[in-house]
Amino acid sequence: MIEVKNLVKEFNKKDGSVYRAVNDVSFEARDGEIVCLLGVNGAGKTTTMRILSTVFKPNSGTALVQGYDISKEAQKVRENLGFLSGDTGLYNRLRPREFISYFGRLYGLDNAEINRRIDDMADLLDMKDFLDKKIDVLSSGMKQKVSIVRSIIHDPPVMIFDEPTSGLDILTARNIISFIRDCKDKGKCVLFSTHIMREAERLADRIVMIHRGQVLANGSLEELRAESGALDLDDVFIFYVNRFSMEPEVKEHEF
Amino acid sequence: MNFKKALIVYRKELMEMLRDKRTLFTTILLPIILYPLIFVGFSSLMSRQQVKLEEKGATIAIADSLNTAGSALIISDLQTIEHFSYLPYSPAMEKRFEEKDIHAIITISDSLSAENLHLIKFEVRFDNSSDQGRMLIGKLNKSLADTEKKMVEQRLIEQKLNPGILKVVSVVETDISTAQKKLGSILGMILPYLMIILLISGAAVAAADLVAGEKERHTLETLLVSSAQRTEIVIGKYLTIITMSMVNVLANLVSLYFSATYMVSQSGLETAGVSFPVSNFLILFLALIPLSTLYAAILLSISTFSRNMKEAHSYEQPILTISMLLGMISFFPAFELSNLMALVPVINISLLFKAVMIGEYQISHLLLTIGSTLLLDVLAIWGTIKLFNTESVLFRTEDDSSVKGARKNRKAFFSTFNGIIYFLIGLVVLFYLGSYLQGRDLGSGLVQTQIFIIALPVLLILRFLKLDSKKILRMKAPRIVELVLIPFIAIPAAVIVSLLSQLVNMVFPFPSEYLEQLGKLFQMKMPLWQQFLIIAVSPGICEEILFRGFMPRFFEGSSQKAVIVITALLFAAFHLDPFRFLPVFFLGLLLGYLTLRSGSIYNSMLSHTLNNGTALLAASFASHPIMQRISTGGDTLTFWLFVPAIVIFIIAIMMFHKVTANREDTCAE
Repeated sequence: MIEVKNLVKEFNKKDGSVYRAVNDVSFEARDGEIVCLLGVNGAGKTTTMRILSTVFKPNSGTALVQGYDISKEAQKVRENLGFLSGDTGLYNRLRPREFISYFGRLYGLDNAEINRRIDDMADLLDMKDFLDKKIDVLSSGMKQKVSIVRSIIHDPPVMIFDEPTSGLDILTARNIISFIRDCKDKGKCVLFSTHIMREAERLADRIVMIHRGQVLANGSLEELRAESGALDLDDVFIFYVNRFSMEPEVKEHEF
Repeated sequence: MNFKKALIVYRKELMEMLRDKRTLFTTILLPIILYPLIFVGFSSLMSRQQVKLEEKGATIAIADSLNTAGSALIISDLQTIEHFSYLPYSPAMEKRFEEKDIHAIITISDSLSAENLHLIKFEVRFDNSSDQGRMLIGKLNKSLADTEKKMVEQRLIEQKLNPGILKVVSVVETDISTAQKKLGSILGMILPYLMIILLISGAAVAAADLVAGEKERHTLETLLVSSAQRTEIVIGKYLTIITMSMVNVLANLVSLYFSATYMVSQSGLETAGVSFPVSNFLILFLALIPLSTLYAAILLSISTFSRNMKEAHSYEQPILTISMLLGMISFFPAFELSNLMALVPVINISLLFKAVMIGEYQISHLLLTIGSTLLLDVLAIWGTIKLFNTESVLFRTEDDSSVKGARKNRKAFFSTFNGIIYFLIGLVVLFYLGSYLQGRDLGSGLVQTQIFIIALPVLLILRFLKLDSKKILRMKAPRIVELVLIPFIAIPAAVIVSLLSQLVNMVFPFPSEYLEQLGKLFQMKMPLWQQFLIIAVSPGICEEILFRGFMPRFFEGSSQKAVIVITALLFAAFHLDPFRFLPVFFLGLLLGYLTLRSGSIYNSMLSHTLNNGTALLAASFASHPIMQRISTGGDTLTFWLFVPAIVIFIIAIMMFHKVTANREDTCAE
């Protein structure tokens, strides 16, 4: 369960001005539900997720992950969270088994537990062949699988995926997609971000559209289609972006 | 903070380090191979060189214009020197001498001593800059001394005197230094330097990889989203750096030890009673641990700050260079460890090593050295954890520091970083160009320094950036009431500054050369009004443009108080004079306050001019009756002047503060 409440994140730009990357964002994702953060590049998706993963601290507002406050109980949040993104790289000098065990130990698991989980996941993801090779020599698909196991080694109730398929070939992307579905089936709360409409369409139970740091819309695909009157998610998205850009004009007329 | 997790991080980092072939090679393999190679190579080369030189001998031309029994004896004795050959002198020999075909020319002639006694003049022309020349003169002198002794004895016997009367003093040298201590003193010179370098270079390789490397490889975020806390991560990485640096030192020491003992045993030197001081090595190794922890923390924070490995390496470079220079102190014979020296990092370890190696060190110094290093270490590690927790540092983004970028983004030019860079460049230019100009002619040099080094660059930069100089430099007319108050502030301030210098003089007495140098300033042979222009007016304008107009703009991110303190510190440092640091710092605080408070640089310009002018007048009229009354001779003032000075100063400042109450923000845009 993730509850995001009025999250604000600002960055100081080099010319001294302040850039508000996340502007009063609120939404929630329940257990057994896949929620998609949908937006163009630079919309604030990654920043929001980095705040949820406690890498960044918010300027104001907060969020609860499995009931734990991201600012006050950061460690508890991380213990209940699996995080996967393009920026969560692997240690090339280690072997997959060592790499995954390292994180398992950091999560406080004992070796027997870690090995059991690694073996289970290796069966599931067909990783037996490369579990004891150097990560350096693995293909990107193999690395992705290692990352997946790393993110779920502590069996967290909440999973966050930041643009999980970007830069991956179709086969590897499919791994991720099925893994996300699998997480949902196990009753986990899943939040993932993408700028690919098709992916959101296929996976999401609910879509949170985000643009220039603000939430444009929040609802299931059907709800959004109904409100916008468009069928294709591309058109739905354009509808909300246009409505957002119009707002200032509407306000001007009010005065 | 869970130490177990820090250990998990530590174990993993260590494993990764040891898997990196480059790291493994430089920290462990290289020392094992290097020392034997160096020692074997050096020793065989050295001994061969020595033998060669001896065997090469020398060819010498002799011109004997005396042809007496005495000169014949000298020559026949010279001919017994092994490998030396002699030719009779002819003018043609000069050319061969120049061509180094002949190595020396000896001329034996007649001479008289001061007591009108016969002397044999033995002249040698040789080249003392060559190894052969030095070898040759040594052998000649030895042979001559023997011959002379024989001849003197002969003379005494002819005079029927006992040759024994020549012996008056018998020198008995008893060298109390043991062979052990001799070895220690040589090792004490080289080892500290070597070990400090090894320690730091080992730490630097590891540190750059541990955070900056993780940023580069995009693995940092993976680690940050795990349940490890940042403090645990920092501690784990910190322990890794310490381990790697100590492993590097240990590998080098062990290899050095074995190859050195091997060399000694091979060379057949007198080794009875000499053993390598293994127990001392152990003390040193332990004493290195605090230094290692200090460097681990410093280098880790550099790594945290850097965006990638390349950046980390370039930031590490100055630290390495400074440490090397500090470590070199063990090569200077005059420096010994004192309680004060024991507080200076690196220098203390270096000197402690030296003392330990000759077996003469005090436990108090050992404890002070370790204690002060550990204290700094705690500060450094605390700072590193802070840095690691600062988002803007850990996720620093690219900034545009190009000239083009600065022009495009004028406001961005005034960053703290650029301010410090500008200041440092100015300092270097002042040091070289300024002292060159003033060396040619003090008076005009001072004015040129002020205009061309201090003021003009500022105006040119503002022009280049197309900025409004008037606005940036706060060239705004002050109010009359402010100008009226300035003399009541500046003149008492001059007295306070002067008394502060005297106080400093009492604590750290000025060296006499320094006072002489300073005195020159007031004794330039020119009319007073010219001196006034040089000493008071030109710094009053130029230094103010730089330090009260330009520099504060770089630090505007901080509070006004901080800006005043920072620019005053820079102003004091700019005078390149440790003795005047405190007084100039005080003056800088005052001048910074005047400008920033009133929004007009003219206030501090007037105040600076009045301050320097007062000092000039006090020095010029030191012999005047009025000055005699308030001074204790020369240009030192009596201390009771402090009371009225400070009273007037405080009242005037309070009034200034009041009249500028509503103007303080007028300068901020």
